[in-house]
Amino acid sequence: MYFKVNNSIKSLIAICLLFSLSEIIANEVNIYTSRHYDSDDLLYKDFSNATGIKVNIISGKGEALIERLKSEGSNSSADIFLTSDAGNLWKVQKEGLFKSISSEKIMQSVPVNFRGPNNEWIGIAKRARVIFYNPDNVPSKDIEKLSYEDLSQEAWKNRIVVRSSNNIYNQSLVASMISNNGIAATETWAKGFVSNFARKPQGNDRSQIIAVANGEADIAIANSYYFGIMLSGSAGPDQMKAANKVKMLFPNQNNRGTHVNISGAGVLRNSKNPINAEAFLEFLLSSKAQSHIVNNTYEYPVIDTIPPSPVIAHFGTSFVEDKTSASDFGKFNSEAIKLMDRVGWK
Amino acid sequence: MNRITNINFWILFPAIVFVFFLMPLVAVLSSLFGEYSDNWNHLYNFVLFDYLRNSAVLVFGVSVLTLIIGTGTAWLVSNFNFFGKRFFEWALILPLSIPPYILAYTFTGLFDSYGTLNNLVRNIFELEQSYIFFPNIRNIFGAIIVFSFTLYPYIYLVARSAFLNQSRSTLESGRILGLNRFEISFKLAMPMIRPAIIGGLMLVIMETLSDFGAVEHFAIPTFTTGIFRTWYGMGDLLTAMQLSSFLLILVAIFLLIENKSRRNAGFVSDSSTHSPIQIERLNSRYSALAFVFCSIPLLVGFILPTSELIIWAIYYNPSFFDDRFLDAALNTITLAVVAAVLCSMTALLINFSVRINKNKILRLLSSFLSIGYALPGLILAVGIVQTTTFIDSNLLNKSSLALTGSLFGLVLAYIIKSYALSNNTISSGMEKISIGIDNSARVLKSSGWNLLGSIHFPLLKTSFFTSILLVISEVVKELPATLILRPFNFDTLAVSTYIYAAEERMRDAAAPSIAIILVGLIPIIIITRMIRSSRDKGAM
Repeated sequence: MYFKVNNSIKSLIAICLLFSLSEIIANEVNIYTSRHYDSDDLLYKDFSNATGIKVNIISGKGEALIERLKSEGSNSSADIFLTSDAGNLWKVQKEGLFKSISSEKIMQSVPVNFRGPNNEWIGIAKRARVIFYNPDNVPSKDIEKLSYEDLSQEAWKNRIVVRSSNNIYNQSLVASMISNNGIAATETWAKGFVSNFARKPQGNDRSQIIAVANGEADIAIANSYYFGIMLSGSAGPDQMKAANKVKMLFPNQNNRGTHVNISGAGVLRNSKNPINAEAFLEFLLSSKAQSHIVNNTYEYPVIDTIPPSPVIAHFGTSFVEDKTSASDFGKFNSEAIKLMDRVGWK
Repeated sequence: MNRITNINFWILFPAIVFVFFLMPLVAVLSSLFGEYSDNWNHLYNFVLFDYLRNSAVLVFGVSVLTLIIGTGTAWLVSNFNFFGKRFFEWALILPLSIPPYILAYTFTGLFDSYGTLNNLVRNIFELEQSYIFFPNIRNIFGAIIVFSFTLYPYIYLVARSAFLNQSRSTLESGRILGLNRFEISFKLAMPMIRPAIIGGLMLVIMETLSDFGAVEHFAIPTFTTGIFRTWYGMGDLLTAMQLSSFLLILVAIFLLIENKSRRNAGFVSDSSTHSPIQIERLNSRYSALAFVFCSIPLLVGFILPTSELIIWAIYYNPSFFDDRFLDAALNTITLAVVAAVLCSMTALLINFSVRINKNKILRLLSSFLSIGYALPGLILAVGIVQTTTFIDSNLLNKSSLALTGSLFGLVLAYIIKSYALSNNTISSGMEKISIGIDNSARVLKSSGWNLLGSIHFPLLKTSFFTSILLVISEVVKELPATLILRPFNFDTLAVSTYIYAAEERMRDAAAPSIAIILVGLIPIIIITRMIRSSRDKGAM
């Protein structure tokens, strides 16, 4: 009995090793992604059907995938790094793991502030970090001209909800403010902002929207696409009901614009299939792929010709966007974290 | 001649295993010799003590609650007959199939202001939308409840087997000395099973410390969330690994103390003269109390979350079972079985080696390996990637990565992560084998493989299979290391759950969560059958 078990283990080990040793030589593109949308799987399928290029995926936490990329070095089989946050793109860029994208077609489609300094990466979709309010409690005209900066004022005492500072979207928002206003001013602002919290930061972006719908707070900060998911009903009737009670507002429309982050991707320096990789990025920017993205994830398109999903379009499509380079979110992320620690943003 | 090669093997084998297993741990610990960045100042000034305090409160709360639930229920079902006892005996292990992060997700789904239960209360009593009945659970008390109700089975399992193995003669002596039923339990039985319970408690503590998913979901700044905040937020992996190393050292100290306390309190009863304890029937009032006490952990830790998950799974993502379930389930089961068999065999061989060599260093190293259980999965994954890329580029073919991103790394991670489970089960099983048996065997010229195969293994069968099943249930739930170490296009059930949960789509995550629980139930049902059959045999 005992030795029988032993033998079957040996054969299992052999199988494991065979798995790993088989060098697959095929027409393929290997993607490390920290975006985990079902709808992305459909995109990969579409791409394979159109080009005959097989798409292989490992999805995981962005930072950990970067660590795996670094350790794998020149032997890495990954061709593309795809992520839902600009900060991670910056990290890969800083490690020198990207190569510059050469496709003219790509350069023409993507605006400069959504590209790496040397075209190491591009944005493929945008998301705005916006303000949600309950029009029953907060008259729309009172907050038309609201800026993120205003949220530190006394008037908002105990009225604001936002999630924990562990969250990358909050970190990027604060990083963008550091980039625009400097550390000292941002810290003063953050102190006031934190003292206006209606409750200890908790839950996800949608919990904040729900808290406003439910009257637990008057103002929530959350990402635009979560609102789209809630309104679409795919998160359940309760969330749809909650979302219908609140309104979305783009802050800073009279100055630098609303904070916008990107999902983006770049071709890796050690890519073994660089041509396939660029073909994949071109595909992501095609009108078909862009409409697929905006209608499934409720992000905003990076291509002007594609309209956002009708679910969120009526809150405005031509809002003023903060043009702060997405690289800055990564660059100031560490400062942002420390600043939030100092002011007690849990 | 034969004897000499045997002896060499029993020294050589543990040595090789230790080197191999320790490499990823050493990769993590070596960070201690790296530079200490300026971020340490920041941590020290602003957040470190908050992290430490929260982790300490969490560990303390979870310890107290799991001890109460785990030993309380085990004491009831092994010493008394009451309504539902046969059912509770096995059902109390069920919460082990639910990973803490999934219980955390379902708890928020149930108790949040728009959660199922608050909606229910509002609908029944026709209250306003803004009325919130249940207290907020996204705080440290919520986390203590989540961990306690998913982890108490570790204590229940060891306590129960310890209660069952108590010798009747000892307890009868107590009765002769005039102790009543409760005095016998608390003055005699409890101290005798203490070492076993502390072993189970160590597992609970280590798992609580290493968890990231549940505390992150509740936004509680603990030591572990601090590790990841430092890594992700400050982009400082070195400091994150230094923090992890301190966590490991702390756990190693705990383990040493536990090890010592276990040595000092060896209650080896002679199994040949052992007769099972007598079971008392409770009167109806006590029977009802016992029923309620045993129902609570089952209700909170299993029935409530699974009902919620089943409803979500049916409404929101039923197609999961058509599209992805089969592949992911097959991957999960294969990996879990391979890792569990390897891990349990390793623990068996090492513990046997420790026993026949009576070598203190071996024993120390064996418990040292257990600290892998307390290492957050992602940090372990970093250690493994560094190890496998090192082996790949220095020892194997330099131009490709054979081990990195293969199932090898994944299985290695699982073994390191769950060695504590195997070691705990098998070493306590081995302690029950009287050393006299070894001596008799030696007289009969049985040693090495022969001694292990024909004498120890048959006696250890239950512990060995329990170990396999515990590791399977651990691997099925494991997420962070799997995410990073897996090969292309390779999903497990936990990965499928994460893919939805990461995007905050808890309801879509319900279908794969239910699948994790279903797969995790298989080993648990087998464990319970084994316990029951060993018990029935004992009763005969």
